[in-house]
Amino acid sequence: MTKTGLKTLGLAGVEELYQNKGQRAKELAQEGRKVIGYFCCYVPLELFTALDIVPYRIHGGTTEPITEADAYLETIMCPFIRSAFDLALKNRYDFLDGLVIPHTCDTVERLYDIWTYYREPVYSHFINVPHMLHASSFEFFKKELETYRKSLEDFAGKKVSDEALTEAVKLHNENRALVRELYSFGKPDPPLAFRSEILKTMIVGLGLPVEDFNDLLRSVIQEIKDRNEGPEKKAARVLIYGSVVDEVGFVQLVEESGANVVMDDLSTGSRAFWEDVEVTPDPLDGISNRYLDKIHCPRTYRPQGETPEQDLENRFGHIYRFVKDFNANAVVLYVIRFCDTYELDAPDFIDYMDSKDVPVLYLEDEYSATTLGQLKTRVQAFLEMFD
Amino acid sequence: MADKKTEKTTATKTTQTVRKVRAIVRDLYQNAREAKEKGQPTAYTMTACQYDDILAAMDIVPVWTENYAGLSAAKRDAERFIVKAEADGYSNVICGYVRVGIGFDALRKEVGGIPENSPDGGMVMPDMMLGCGAACDPRFKWYQALGRYMQVPTFSFDVVWPRVDTDLDEVRDYYVKYQMEQYRGLVEFIEAHTEKKFDPERLWEVIRISDATWYKWWEIDQLRKAVPSPMPTEDHYNAMVPAFYCSGTQMALDFYNDLYEEVKERADSKVGVIPDEKYRLLFGGGLPPWHTMWIFNYFESLGAVFVMENAYRLFDPVEVPSHIKDPLEYMAYRSFLRWTLRYDKAAERSKSATVERLLEYIDDYKIDGVVTHATKSCRATTVGQIDWLRRLNDYASIPTMQLISDIVDVRDYSEAQWKAQIEAFVEVVGAHKN
Repeated sequence: MTKTGLKTLGLAGVEELYQNKGQRAKELAQEGRKVIGYFCCYVPLELFTALDIVPYRIHGGTTEPITEADAYLETIMCPFIRSAFDLALKNRYDFLDGLVIPHTCDTVERLYDIWTYYREPVYSHFINVPHMLHASSFEFFKKELETYRKSLEDFAGKKVSDEALTEAVKLHNENRALVRELYSFGKPDPPLAFRSEILKTMIVGLGLPVEDFNDLLRSVIQEIKDRNEGPEKKAARVLIYGSVVDEVGFVQLVEESGANVVMDDLSTGSRAFWEDVEVTPDPLDGISNRYLDKIHCPRTYRPQGETPEQDLENRFGHIYRFVKDFNANAVVLYVIRFCDTYELDAPDFIDYMDSKDVPVLYLEDEYSATTLGQLKTRVQAFLEMFD
Repeated sequence: MADKKTEKTTATKTTQTVRKVRAIVRDLYQNAREAKEKGQPTAYTMTACQYDDILAAMDIVPVWTENYAGLSAAKRDAERFIVKAEADGYSNVICGYVRVGIGFDALRKEVGGIPENSPDGGMVMPDMMLGCGAACDPRFKWYQALGRYMQVPTFSFDVVWPRVDTDLDEVRDYYVKYQMEQYRGLVEFIEAHTEKKFDPERLWEVIRISDATWYKWWEIDQLRKAVPSPMPTEDHYNAMVPAFYCSGTQMALDFYNDLYEEVKERADSKVGVIPDEKYRLLFGGGLPPWHTMWIFNYFESLGAVFVMENAYRLFDPVEVPSHIKDPLEYMAYRSFLRWTLRYDKAAERSKSATVERLLEYIDDYKIDGVVTHATKSCRATTVGQIDWLRRLNDYASIPTMQLISDIVDVRDYSEAQWKAQIEAFVEVVGAHKN
């Protein structure tokens, strides 16, 4: 693993990277590093790290109108995916050497064929992630990761030893510990950091080698600890639950509407980092177990509980634990339109939180900055209960 | 806004045999209600899970929930269920089938029984719900969501297949093994929740019948290459019922034997769907518009016949290696082969098995134009259509058109707009052909 370095650390470094998304990955590509783009939080990053490949979480752009993707993708599908592919068609992802797509949901699965046909990346791989959690599902997923490992090794032109992979696991666990430390700033009242600062750090970190991300996290954590300013105390302490939020406009909107956002469960936030990979003799055991079972996304079918209450607990209990741990008193369920798995969960989720006396604001959004005005009205109306 | 209903929703059928289907569909729901009364286990089920043979072998009476939604749409009686599901908080962009199903069970809970005047008497309260991950996510999320309305044991399992660019030799063994384990889990679940015991010999018997059924259906489609077309797409969407919903039964096999004889006679005698078949069209994908099936007849009024289709057409014949002696392994292997058919061709050309199938049909069925149906709430069959049509144009010169509505929800369907679009398209097909 090669040690790299960021020019600017701390929140200023975060801002610089956020304003120039992809810049760091492009620099590393120019230095000869291989950079691979990926979607969702089901791609084991440890394999990239062990092979000295820079992972780059592909993002969309809420402020950029979709102008090219309409000729390839239907409008009735996830607007985030349409936006990301639109950027690809506009050559914004030409710095990527390859693409890895996991089977997380229907739309991401279908994108693989389309992206590889029209963009022809040098390297591409599809990881079939089971929806189920049966014993055989874990065995299958490990096999899929073995196939992926071989494929990635062929691309990198070198083998990855179990020892190197274990070292990568430890490095990423260190990364996860730092993320949890950063997130702990949401616990005090008032929180020590704005969620927009935390989420921005996460978003830029998703485009960095883990060593860089760890350096950045340490510097941000230290800066926040050392500073005297931060959010003011507010009655509303909100948790945001949803899939992809890769720009901070919506989170800032909630914060500006009178709430402190103290925690998130987002694919681009805590969900991708919260649980460690267990260090196991065969590192793929720990990796496959963590990525299949420990990531809580509605795309994974949690086996039916013995009672309706237990069923809901299996599906949403982790979010309520976040609510308790972070002393949140409201949840914003932020769903990108056409996301079947979230939309089919929504009424159950709202009922579950209602049973815990936690109010939920359910928003379906178009993944476009143009909707922020409408969202603000809804958010402000919701937060009035805390006045 | 939906236009006022001006004509019936169903299409005029060409073949006599498919006229039997309406009674078969009615029997599906009647039989399930009677089975329940007799204590025979019933299950909510989904198409394409490829577990039909297991269900038949273990005497589980299926209630095909997607079919019920289509039936409700065909009877223009889906809206009350859709509205109920949306009133309960389900987004209006969720799969129309799912909204009908959820709405039906929500109303059932509300009124304490099958909602009044439900199409074909309604769906029986099942003893179990069996979802799967084949084709789309709502297939397992739907039954999970129903937990808020009914306490019914629910089992879901994966149906997996690799992508076109996969080295099949590298992954085949563990894909087949996983699929087999998934089926085994299903069998264990059924055994645990019923008094039924799994009998491998019984399953082999069912497999033999279902393979023969699917093969006979495939032979019928070979006859449909004839000019003029002896059997149109609208008949296919009736003819699919026995294979999709009664697979593994002698009745289904008999149905296709009868249909084969009729279609062969029509082909041999050169009796077409319409007297003057000017253009031959392919229904290239997307679910059919159950709410407006007569639209196929409208094309015919313009001289264009849909002679073949690429929806609700899953399985061409495959040959499972003879050394496989375990019926569950056979089913798993068969599933793998079915999903990966045409991968060799796809790897060499279009990189898409679907596009290869369309190209094959265009040649074999002498197709003059391709029409797809983008359904607003079904991402599984809609996302990718633009891509297919683009790729078709890379390898074939043929007019294409995408119609847009929904599978069941007619609230923003426009009949006038469709007719204008169809007329313009048929003109283009004519100009291209001539």
